[in-house]
Formats: sequence, structure tokens, C-alpha cells
Amino acid sequence: MTALSAAFSLAPLLPLLVALLAAPAAMLAGTLKPRLAAPVGTAFAALAFLATAFTWYRGGGTVDLAWAPTWGMRFTIALDGLAALYALLATGIGFLVLAYSSRYLPLHLDQEGRPEAEGARFYGFMLLFMGAMVGLAMAQDLVLLFVFWDLTAVASYYLIAYDRHDPDARASALMALLVTGITAVLLLIGALTLYATYGTLSVPDLAGSVEPGVTLTVAGLLIACAALAKSAQVPFHFWLPRAMAAPTPVSAYLHSAAMVAAGVLLLGRVYPLLEKSQFLLDVLLVVGLLSISVGAILALTRDVLKQLLAYSTISQYGYVVFLYGLGGEYGAAGAAFYVVSHALAKCALFLTAGAITEETGEDRLSRLGGLTKRLPLLAVASGAAAAGLAALPFTIGFFKDELLFEAALERGGLFAALSVLGAALTIAYTWRFWGGLFLGEGRDGAGSLPAALVWPVAVLGGLVLLGGLFVEPFALLAEAAGAASYGAPTPIEPAYHLDLRPTNLMAVGAFALGIAIVASRPLWERGALAVSRFGEVLGPERLYEWGVDALNRLSDYVHRAEVRDLRSRVAAILLPAGVLVGAGILVTPTVGAYRTGEVMRGDFPLLLALVVVAVAALTTTFTRRHVTLALVLSGAGFVLALVYAFLGAPEVTLVAVLVETFLTLLFLGTSKLIPYKVLHDQAKLPLGNQWRRVFFSCLASLFAFAVAWSALSQPAAENTVAEEHVRLAPDAHAQDTVSAILADFRALDTLGEVTVVALVILGVATLLNRGRLP
Amino acid sequence: MILAFSLAVAVVFGSGVFLVIQRDLLRVVVGIVLISNSASLFIVAAGLTRGAVPIVPLPGGDGASASDPLVQAMALTALIITSSVTALLLSLIYRLYVSHDTMDIEDISVAELREAEALERKNRPEIEENPEKGPAAEELEERSR
Repeated sequence: MTALSAAFSLAPLLPLLVALLAAPAAMLAGTLKPRLAAPVGTAFAALAFLATAFTWYRGGGTVDLAWAPTWGMRFTIALDGLAALYALLATGIGFLVLAYSSRYLPLHLDQEGRPEAEGARFYGFMLLFMGAMVGLAMAQDLVLLFVFWDLTAVASYYLIAYDRHDPDARASALMALLVTGITAVLLLIGALTLYATYGTLSVPDLAGSVEPGVTLTVAGLLIACAALAKSAQVPFHFWLPRAMAAPTPVSAYLHSAAMVAAGVLLLGRVYPLLEKSQFLLDVLLVVGLLSISVGAILALTRDVLKQLLAYSTISQYGYVVFLYGLGGEYGAAGAAFYVVSHALAKCALFLTAGAITEETGEDRLSRLGGLTKRLPLLAVASGAAAAGLAALPFTIGFFKDELLFEAALERGGLFAALSVLGAALTIAYTWRFWGGLFLGEGRDGAGSLPAALVWPVAVLGGLVLLGGLFVEPFALLAEAAGAASYGAPTPIEPAYHLDLRPTNLMAVGAFALGIAIVASRPLWERGALAVSRFGEVLGPERLYEWGVDALNRLSDYVHRAEVRDLRSRVAAILLPAGVLVGAGILVTPTVGAYRTGEVMRGDFPLLLALVVVAVAALTTTFTRRHVTLALVLSGAGFVLALVYAFLGAPEVTLVAVLVETFLTLLFLGTSKLIPYKVLHDQAKLPLGNQWRRVFFSCLASLFAFAVAWSALSQPAAENTVAEEHVRLAPDAHAQDTVSAILADFRALDTLGEVTVVALVILGVATLLNRGRLP
Repeated sequence: MILAFSLAVAVVFGSGVFLVIQRDLLRVVVGIVLISNSASLFIVAAGLTRGAVPIVPLPGGDGASASDPLVQAMALTALIITSSVTALLLSLIYRLYVSHDTMDIEDISVAELREAEALERKNRPEIEENPEKGPAAEELEERSR
């Protein structure tokens, strides 16, 4: 009974487990038989969708497990409204996109002459992406969130660079990884800032305890930066159009349900923190408005299908950010609803673009048109999706704009006007896309598209229409998500009203303005192109390129300086170590930390021996001939053995004498192996710029002195481990404590040491035998 | 005594560093041995107690203070590792001498760079203008004169 209830309490883990298992399952199936990867992957996506829906239907729930409790990190996942919305999107759209890919990918690979086996990699990373998104949606702990966040970045890197022979694809993938990866670190810093102040990483706990102030503003800005970069908002937007180098299903997924959606998901997750600071909400407002306008204007100028859609995505997520920035219950629930309706429509449009490029081999609007007769079903299905994006009545999109207008009206007239203008721009570029593809003069003839490239679009288009007629289920999901963000119920009642309420008037205004923009294209086309060119010349992408270039040059320089020769390689390790030690010494308080220690009466022989060691060591620095050098060195070593004897360490003395004898013989032997002439030449080497070397060794010596003096000055502990060792030695059947330590207490150390000696003997034997084992 | 030990450690270490940054590889090895010696001295000097040899029975009875046996055990380990590493380094130098006919770091660097450039040329046949030596090797040779 208890086992059963324990299993039930872990039930919310089910969607995450299925989603995370999908990638390895598809990879495994793909290695067994390349053909199997697609069906297995698609089936797992469907399973994950069902698992999420089932768990959500049963009421969601939270699983809270200790992860690293001493650091305040917990493995907390919850299937609340927000998580359910994004997890359903990720798995549901994932299923459709994978079904589409099962036909698209073989065509794509075939065109590029690549083996079918490479498909497994595609499904593996797509499903990893899906698993990461489900995890990200459900994570409640900021560090856990960060882990899944970076997992999506890794998956997107491999997917964008799927055509890895193409340098452009690789550069785009790197750009996406850098822009979202570097800003991800900001998320981590923000999370740790909050942890340092409030002692918890759990978002619900933080929502209860944060107070407006500098900490919240800074941490909120850092987290918002990460979210905005992921959602490709201005000024981080430039990576998204470049990421179109990916295969089309990847773009569709990236834009509608993964990666880009992850950014606004994070905003929704941390919205309870952000809403406490009006400044943060204002930042979101400004960024959202900028992204809406920049994305829409550039979408009106692009000729390549996927580029147009990419800029439209920037603009559409700008709305979501704008809605969060508006705040209030309409903001939170409206943003969630907006994400759903945009995901359905945008995914369908991307899949349409991919299907058309497969059919015609063209990817530019200027070379396409009049495809209705050839592809009637695709035209209708994507028409429904486009209508949804443009927010026409009888589609789910109509309600997204209704909510947007209501939220904007709450804030005031200016925002209402701006949102009408934004909606009009959306209508204009959506018309440009769909009208450009399907209307106009076109060749006749039956299309030859496989069904799998059409029916996912039809399903999505159907959903867009269905949402326009029966909005209830979508609204419920968005309400639940809004409640999770807002912290209170957010009733939204999307419905058609046949009266002159403001939102209806604004919608009509947007339609009229949209038609006017489409009709007046010659008037503004030049201006839009100028904006686009200005962005290319002075946009943030320039900054990115400059930064990457500078980093490359710095890395080349450091690399060259480091690997020049043996000394520079050693210096590359020792110099940073020295700097660290120096910094350590500088920040350590010095008053009273250094002691000279007292000299007892019996210590004079010891002092004398130390002086001899020092003099011998100094002598080695100006001895020229190698034999003398070896003898002086062994002299220093033997006197050092004497020092150990004075310190009451007979074993060390004996071993030191042995080792010194051995080393002396080794040095003399080496001098014998190498002809006298070489040694003699070597001894006469021009000693170069010795003053520099003297300076550096004096500096090193000073460091050593500071470290040794400060370490030795530390007062002895009261109860030393030495007494313990001396007491325990008889129990180890030894009288000599040192041998008891070596052979018993720390026997593993000795074992390691013996291994080193054995390896060295092997190495020396091999080296002397010209690289072969004797 | 603390100051005396620290000074001795510093002088031996500094002399070792001076030798390690020489061009002659045998001197480099001598420098490494000196640095290891200074480390051993430091370890032994860091013993928390000084007194009788830590062999039971202690001359002064049970309560008498003995030298810290732990640092002695560590120093023993350090000494053995030093001697092994030195043996390995000396055989490496011998190998280098056999293959390059020199024990001068600069000569060996030049040879290494030339080899790297030869490899590069083999991989990219288009850079064939200067088959004898590349710009990097030339620069290094210039510097070593």
C-alpha cells in the first residue's frame, strides 16, 4: 500500500521521464536500423503528449526531491498550468513535426547525398530538445531550470548545424549557442544573487519572499536578459534569422514550441518576481515594442520564405513580452494564450514553406506564386494558419488579439494605439507570405507532395480553425498558465461579441490599417529597406561579429605565446599560479601573521647546515661545467639530509642520502652518455639576457619566501595528529611511527608511489632502448 | 628558526627557478631537483612539533613530544617521486640528444616548429612557396642568435 502511494506521489514525473527517454530510444532504434528511428521517435513524442495530458487531467502535482540540499538545490518539478501548456506544446507540436520529418528528412538527406543512417542523429537531438523543453517547463528550482535551459541550447546547436558540411550552418549554430549560452550564464548569476539574499532557489518560495529593491532589480534584469536572448528579442534578435540554416522541421519546432518559446516560458515562470518591480515590467514593455516593430518591418522586406517567418517570430514573441510587460491578469493569461495560438499557426506556416521548397526547389517569394491549383489542400490548410496569425475572425488568432487589446486598453490609449498598429503590421506580412505563395499567375499541374508533408499542416490549420469555434479548452489552459504566473485566478472569457465594444473596434481598425499597409506598399517599401540596411550596417550583429573576431585573435595570440617553446609552456602554468598566490598574500592580513621563531641553543649546527645548503644552491647558478654542477647539487642534497637528521627525522635522512647518491650517479652517467664536446659547447652557451632571468628568479624566490614564511608562522595546533600516530603505532605492530604511516595508515599513498616508480622504470627503459620496450 | 627555514627554502627555490629558465636542458633538470629539494625542506620544516625521533618507546616517556611523523612520511614520498621524475627527465634528455644532436631548448623548439610546418604543408599542399622553413621557425632562429 505504501509502495503504491509512493508511486502515486511520483506520478508528476511521468511526462518528464517519457520525454527524456524518447531521445535514447530513437537513437538506439536508429543504430539498430536507420528506418526505425522516425517511427520510434514519433511514437515516443505521442506518448509524451499523452502522458502530459493524462497527468494534467489527473490534477498535475509536484515532486520535490533533495538534490544538493546543503546548497539549497532541490529537484523540484511541478505540472502546473504553465508547465502543462508548454509541455503539451513541446510534445504535441513535436509529434507533428516529427511525423512531417519522417518524410521530409529522407528527401533532404537524399538531395545532399548523405546516408540514411544520419537520420538517427536528427531524431535523437529533436527528442532531446523535446525532453529538455518538458523539463524546463516543469522545473521549479532555478538551478534545475538552468540545467534544462542549457540542454535546449546544446540540442539546438546540433540541430541548427545538422548540415554540418555547410560552413554557414556551422557559423549560425555557433552564433545561436553563443548568444543564448552566454546569456544563460546571466540567468545563473541572477539565480545565485537571489539565493545569496533570500536563501532559496525555488521560484514559488522566492515569489513569497522577494521584496522590491536593488537585488530584485539586478537579478530580475539578469534573468530577463537570458529570457529575451532566448526569445530572440531586440537587441539579441539577430541569431534567429541566421538559425534558418537548419532543416525546416527544426526551424518549425524551434520557433513554435522550443528554444524561442523557452524564453517567454522563463518570463512566465519568474513573472511573480518580475511583477514586483515596475522598472522590470517597463523594460519588458520597451523591449517588446521594439521587437514588434523591428521584426514586423524587417519581415516586410525579406524575400526568402524562412527569413520572413523568422522576423515574424521575433515580432510575435515581442507581443508576448509586451503582454507580460503590460502586467495584470490579462497580461499573464493573454501571454500564455498568445503563445499557444502563435505556435499552432507559425508551425503550420514553416512546414508549408518547407513543403513548397521541396515541391518547387525555390525558397524565395519573388520566384513563387500561384500555387493554389497545384497544391489545393496545402493552400487551404496554410490559409487557415495564416488567418490565425493575422487574427482574422473564426480562428484562434482572433482571441489572441482580443486579449492583447484588452490588456493594452487597461494601460491606456497610447498602448492601445501601438497594439493596433502592431496587429496591422502582422496582417500585412502574413498576407505577403500567403498571398505571395498561393495567389497570382501560376503553372497548372498536379502537385506531387507526399501526404506526410501535408497532413501535419492540415492538422495544425484545423486546430487553428477549431480554436476559433471552440475556444474553451485553449482558454482553460491559458487561464491555468496565467494563474501559475500571476499567482491568482486570471479569468479570460474569449468570445465573439456582436457589439461596438472597444476591442471589436480596435480589431476592425487593425484590419483596415493592415489592408492599407498592403495596398500602399510602393509608398513605404523604400523606407523599410533603408531600416533593414541600417540594421545590417549598425545592428547588434556587427557587435557580435566584432566580439567573436576579437576573441579569436586573442586566443590565437595566447596560443602562439603559450606553445612557442618549453619555457613559455611552463610559464603559462606558473605565471597564473604566481598571480593567484600573490593575490592570496596581498589580501591576507599581515599584522601579527609573521613570526620569526626562537633559536634554541642546540639549533646552531642546524642553522649552519641551512646556510651551507643555501650557498650550495646559489653556487649551482654560476657553475659552468656539468660535472661540477652535478657535484655541487649532490653536495646541497647531502647537507640537506643532515638538516633532516637535526630535525629528528632519521628515515628521511637515510632516504635522502640514498636518493642523492642515486641522483649523483644518474647525472654523472648522463654526462658520460653524452659526448664531451656537446656538453662543452652547451656549457659555453651564450647565457643571453641574464639580468632578466635574475630578476624573475628573485621574484619567484620572494614569492616562495612569502608563502613559506606565512605558512610556517601559523601557530601549531593544540592536539596534533602526530600524538595520535605515535599512540597508534604499537597497534599496527610497529615501533617506528613513520614506517607505520607509510605501510599502514597511508598505505594507499605508498602504493601509488610504488606505481609511479614502476612506470618511471618502464619509461626510462623504453627511452634508452630507442622507443621500444626492452 | 621559522625565518631561517623560510629564507633557506626561498634561496634554494630561487636558484632552482634561475636554472629552470636556462636554455641548457641539463641545467633545467638540476633546477627541478633544487625546487623539489626546497619543497621537501618546506614540508619537513612545516612539522607541528619538534622533538625526539618518533620511535616508541619515546625516551621521555609517554607524554614526551616527538617530531611530527606525518611530515616525515610526506617528505619521504616527495623524495622518492623526485628521484623517479629526475631519472625520467634525464632519459628524455638523452633521447632528445640522440634524435636532435643538441640539448639546447631553442634548437629543439626550432626543430619542433619545422616539423609542425612540414606536417601542415603535407595536409595543405597549396602553401609550397617556402619549403625549407616557415616564418615562425625563421623568427625563432633569429631570436636565438
